[in-house]
Amino acid sequence: MTELPKAIEEKIQHMLPRDLLHDLRTPLGHILGYSELMIEQMRDRGDEEFIPHLEKIRAAGHKLLEMMRDNFQETRNSDR
Amino acid sequence: MPRILLVEDNEMNRDMLSRRLQRRGYEVLIAVDGQMGIDMAKANAPDLILMDMSLPVMDGWEATRALKVNASTRNIPVIALTAHAMSTDRNKAIEAGCDDYDTKPIELTRLLAKMEALMPRQVAETTDEKEAP
Repeated sequence: MTELPKAIEEKIQHMLPRDLLHDLRTPLGHILGYSELMIEQMRDRGDEEFIPHLEKIRAAGHKLLEMMRDNFQETRNSDR
Repeated sequence: MPRILLVEDNEMNRDMLSRRLQRRGYEVLIAVDGQMGIDMAKANAPDLILMDMSLPVMDGWEATRALKVNASTRNIPVIALTAHAMSTDRNKAIEAGCDDYDTKPIELTRLLAKMEALMPRQVAETTDEKEAP
């Protein structure tokens, strides 16, 4: 089996996390954005019943985003 | 009421962001690709453009470059929106002529601050209208 040239191998290794992070950000944005929109709308209506659940969805989304940012930072550091 | 042109090909992103901006008093126009964004900017003279960069037909970088060389649209502030979050992505957007840059997922408070910084006159007028008796 022919090995990839080192330069190409390194490029692929750095591209994968970047593309993966990009693709994860779009659905994560939907989770965060719609949960925040629903919280705003329910507060306007004075309906507090489901807001704690929506806050948990939003908090989980932010946790996932933090994990992605940590991963992103690691990728950046490995470039140095 | 400040008029915002949102150029975004993802239907859920369009729906979500336009509704959140409308709730805050902005008029939101929608374009789904870069060419449509240019056409709508020329026809409607928005106060600010939110430009996704990965777009079909014509991407956001090319559309912004075209807007910034056209006399009727060059003074409209453009904020680039992208899910790419590296510093090179920011530089690429600024080099294309974007006035600012923000990453997805959108943090609305941060985005609103950037929008207001680029169009203080319209925001002041909107505030005055709301505060008028």
